[in-house]
Amino acid sequence: MTKREINKQEMDKKKQERLADLLKHSLTPMNRELDRDLWPKMLQRLDQGARNRNWFAVLFSPSAMSSVPWFDWALLAALIIGICLFPRSIPVWLYQF
Amino acid sequence: MNTHPYLRAYMAGTAVPTMMLLVVLTAFLIARYTFHIPIPIERAIIFPMALVPNIFGVWNMFYLWLRPRPHLPIGLHGAILPFILAPIGFALATCSGFLAATSGGLVWFHEVVIPYAFLAAGFAFALIAYYLVWKYLVSFFNEVLGIG
Repeated sequence: MTKREINKQEMDKKKQERLADLLKHSLTPMNRELDRDLWPKMLQRLDQGARNRNWFAVLFSPSAMSSVPWFDWALLAALIIGICLFPRSIPVWLYQF
Repeated sequence: MNTHPYLRAYMAGTAVPTMMLLVVLTAFLIARYTFHIPIPIERAIIFPMALVPNIFGVWNMFYLWLRPRPHLPIGLHGAILPFILAPIGFALATCSGFLAATSGGLVWFHEVVIPYAFLAAGFAFALIAYYLVWKYLVSFFNEVLGIG
């Protein structure tokens, strides 16, 4: 190997080292673990979302309606049919409420 | 919100019958002045206005007190309430003079006759109504007030 080739190899090595050094400094070190718990923030956002919604909208939202079991719908239907069959009993019902 | 849980339970319990009171009063007025059913509003309104909301509130406080102990689900807890309210309501209505027990059945407001055979069905419907109201409405207000 000639002296010129040795010099070139050394220069390349120095360049590579400098490049590696620059890269190391430009990139922030990566944490394997998050430095904070994100769950409380998530809960806070969910809570804020719920607070911003009208309570009436929450009560009759599609998600609330879909969570009602079928037998409760059946009971409600029976109640409505009962009132329709005996409309004169409505004042008595209202009295009891 | 960890303060005054029983006060919040009372408020959550009274919310539904208080809202219903407007419906009740409107219906009584329509029944009396449109359909000419002789409802003595000033006497008939005492029970739904003064007693029912307070009893709902106290019953919800009782539910909150039962929570750390063995207890029924809120729907069934509410469905017990007609067993307490119905006798009080009947007694008050009889004393106020707009409910009479005759041989043909109970006569409400001197106009509405409910045969005794239908009383059990009517009471079953009341249980259903209370079950649904407590399971969905009172439970919802409990959650809103942070005691759900």
